[in-house]
Amino acid sequence: MSNMQQPQPAGTGATGAEAAAELAQIQRRQGQVIKAALVPVWYWWAMAAAMVAIGAARDSHDLVVLAITIPLAVLVIAGLIAMTIPGVRRRVRVHSATIPGARAAPAIFGLILLVIAVTSATAASLAAAGVPYPITIGSAAGAAVLVIAGPLVNRYLRRLMLSQARQQLDDTPEAGGSTP
Amino acid sequence: MTTARFNELIHAPTRLAIVSLLAAAQWADFKYIRDELGLSDSVLSKQLSTLESAGYVEIRKRFVGKRPRTSASLTTAGRQAFQQHAAALQRIIARSQQDAHAGPAAEAARGALGR
Repeated sequence: MSNMQQPQPAGTGATGAEAAAELAQIQRRQGQVIKAALVPVWYWWAMAAAMVAIGAARDSHDLVVLAITIPLAVLVIAGLIAMTIPGVRRRVRVHSATIPGARAAPAIFGLILLVIAVTSATAASLAAAGVPYPITIGSAAGAAVLVIAGPLVNRYLRRLMLSQARQQLDDTPEAGGSTP
Repeated sequence: MTTARFNELIHAPTRLAIVSLLAAAQWADFKYIRDELGLSDSVLSKQLSTLESAGYVEIRKRFVGKRPRTSASLTTAGRQAFQQHAAALQRIIARSQQDAHAGPAAEAARGALGR
C-alpha cells in the first residue's frame, strides 16, 4: 500500500466510518449473489427423500411400486442435479472469478463418495446379517449423511466464493483520482 | 493493481447496492435485483438508466417464450469503476485508522514541547 500517504482524492466526502459501512454493504451484496448461486437447504432433503424412495421400492420387490417410484425418484434427482448447472439458473449468474472451480471439486466428489460408501456398506452388511429391508435402511443412512454433510459442503463453498470475491476487492490501490 | 478512485455516481446508496450486486454476478435479472434490494420497478429502472448512460451497465432485453426478460450486467468500464471505488474506500479506511493512531502520539508530542 505505497500510496497510503498520498492526499485523498478530490470529491471524496466519505469519512472512515462511512467508507467502512459502504465496504460492508458491498460484501453483503456479494454474499447475496453467492447465496443465490448455491443450492437451498431443501435441496438436500429432496435428494435424500428420493434416495430413500428408491431404496424402499427396491426392497418392496413389487413391480408396480418399482415401475412408479424409481422413474419418479430418478426424475426428481435429475431435476435437482440440473438445478446445479449454472446455465439453468435464470435469475442470476455468479461472476466466473468467484467460482471456486478446482478447489471445490474435492468437497463435492468427497460428499458423493461418502454417501455411496455409507449407503452400500450399510445395505450390504445388513443384507449379510439377514436384516429385513437392508436397502431401505442403507439408503436412509446415506440420506442422513447427505442432509448433514450437504449443508456443510454448501457452507464451505460459500466461504471459498466469498473469499475469492473479497480478493478481487483487495487489489492494492495505486494513485488517487476523482469522480469522472 | 487498481487505481483508487472515489466515484460519486457509484457512491449514491441505491446505485452502490445495484453495482455491488452486479459486480458479484456475470448478469442478473431485473426482477432478481429488484427483489434482492427491495426496490420498486420505477426506481430500479431509473437507476439502471443512469448507470447505463454512464457506460457502467449494459441492459439486455430478450424473450423467454413469449415473456420479455430484462437482465443487467456491469460493463468492463463499470467493473473497473467499481473496483477503483472499492479501492478508494479501503484507502479512506486505512487513512482514518492512521489518523486515529497518529492522534494520541501527536497530542503527546505537543504536550512534551509545551512543557
